[in-house]
Amino acid sequence: MAANEKRPVHLNLLQIRFPVPAVMSIGHRISGVLWILLLPAMIFLVDLSLSGPQGFARAGELLGSVMGRLAAFLLLWALMHHLLAGIRYLALDLDLGIEKQAALATAWWVMLAAPLLAAGLTAGLLP
Amino acid sequence: MKFQVYRFNPETDAKPYLQEFDVIVERGMMLRDALMEIKRQDESFAFRHSCGEGVCGSDGVNVNGSNRLACITPLSEYQGDLVIRPFPGRPVIRDLVVDMTQFYAHYKEVNPWLMRKDALPEQEILQSPEERDRLDGLYECILCGCCSTSCPSFWWNPSKFRGPQALLTAWRFLADSRDQATDQRLDDLEGPYKLYRCHTIMNCVQACPKGLNPTKAIGHIRSLMLKNSI
Amino acid sequence: MSRTASGFRAWILQRISAAWLGLFVLATLGYFLLSPPATFEQWRAFVAHPVVGTLILVTVAVVLLHAWVGIRDVLIDYVPPLALRLTLLSLFGLGFVACGLWALQVILLASGLA
Repeated sequence: MAANEKRPVHLNLLQIRFPVPAVMSIGHRISGVLWILLLPAMIFLVDLSLSGPQGFARAGELLGSVMGRLAAFLLLWALMHHLLAGIRYLALDLDLGIEKQAALATAWWVMLAAPLLAAGLTAGLLP
Repeated sequence: MKFQVYRFNPETDAKPYLQEFDVIVERGMMLRDALMEIKRQDESFAFRHSCGEGVCGSDGVNVNGSNRLACITPLSEYQGDLVIRPFPGRPVIRDLVVDMTQFYAHYKEVNPWLMRKDALPEQEILQSPEERDRLDGLYECILCGCCSTSCPSFWWNPSKFRGPQALLTAWRFLADSRDQATDQRLDDLEGPYKLYRCHTIMNCVQACPKGLNPTKAIGHIRSLMLKNSI
Repeated sequence: MSRTASGFRAWILQRISAAWLGLFVLATLGYFLLSPPATFEQWRAFVAHPVVGTLILVTVAVVLLHAWVGIRDVLIDYVPPLALRLTLLSLFGLGFVACGLWALQVILLASGLA
């Protein structure tokens, strides 16, 4: 009966279908952790910009470069996704949009609106 | 129609594998009918089923990555090959038969019965129609397990997180006007695991074959905790 | 941490801090979109304003609280080995304290208070 002791578990995440709300939820996690990991970089940038006129100019250059714009877009996407998903979660706590179809629709909106807002904000903040 | 079916026999197989079956699909066929046909083709194939009409909750399986109740899943919903696997995250006993012991243990842990402090009256305890209405969408659960085994929080902490099914049941009794153990039930759900592993992912709502909403029930438990704490 | 603090209280703290942070994000984006600082002096004067400086420091504390509850949830979900989880929690905790002190220094220096 030794063979019976071993029981496989099917938990291959690539073979499991994740509904859009679940993908949005993972995005909420990833964007939150990303912001935690880049928190020192944020404080560094503010520190630099407040260190004097040269530092202020240097911070502007860093943000204005191609890499700076890409990083800003990524961080603004994470911020917008986390913010919009967070508003959705607060609404769910209040029983708003808690039904199956509504929750699916709002998850789609969050997924689509976050990159659009991030692109708009990147353009608006770094002209 | 081609079916890729998850096979595992603990006495002969070291690892699970997918086996292909060809089933002629007729009008009105449910997934359970196809699984029964597969069993006719290979009688060593094992899966649970009983009532065949979505009441007993035995034949939950994972179809193309989503948990479904086979007997009320029409094959007409699908085009192309179907991949049938057991519920995610549960130990596989054989083929599509998984060990649901832990799932039932969580159900038992929420005391799924009316708890009274007062002496029981001679007659039944009456409810107003409004009080009875609060139980709609809660009592219909058939414990098939589609929700809890589609919940990532249940995958990561299956021994500590109660899971959507048990929490729906917990709210079913908290919401019952005849129950008198509200404080005890809420205290039992404290701590970071039993209730608060739920991150409102809502896979349970997408998966439930009875159209129930465990996430909403969990939200109501949290609201009641908030109300009782201030 | 008591069992109450680790379940219900963590959950409600996460929501209250989220509401504060949401408003702060909107206000910050509004400031940088509508009247971005053109010179160093404008920028420093803005941050050095007592109300603005205080709001920033309160928000830094709220961010770190929000991040702590969040990272704790992530680690509870994905890192079952207790020793590794505690190590990572401590590292993040230390990092958060360091970030808080650094931000405090930046704001105090800009305000001419340190």
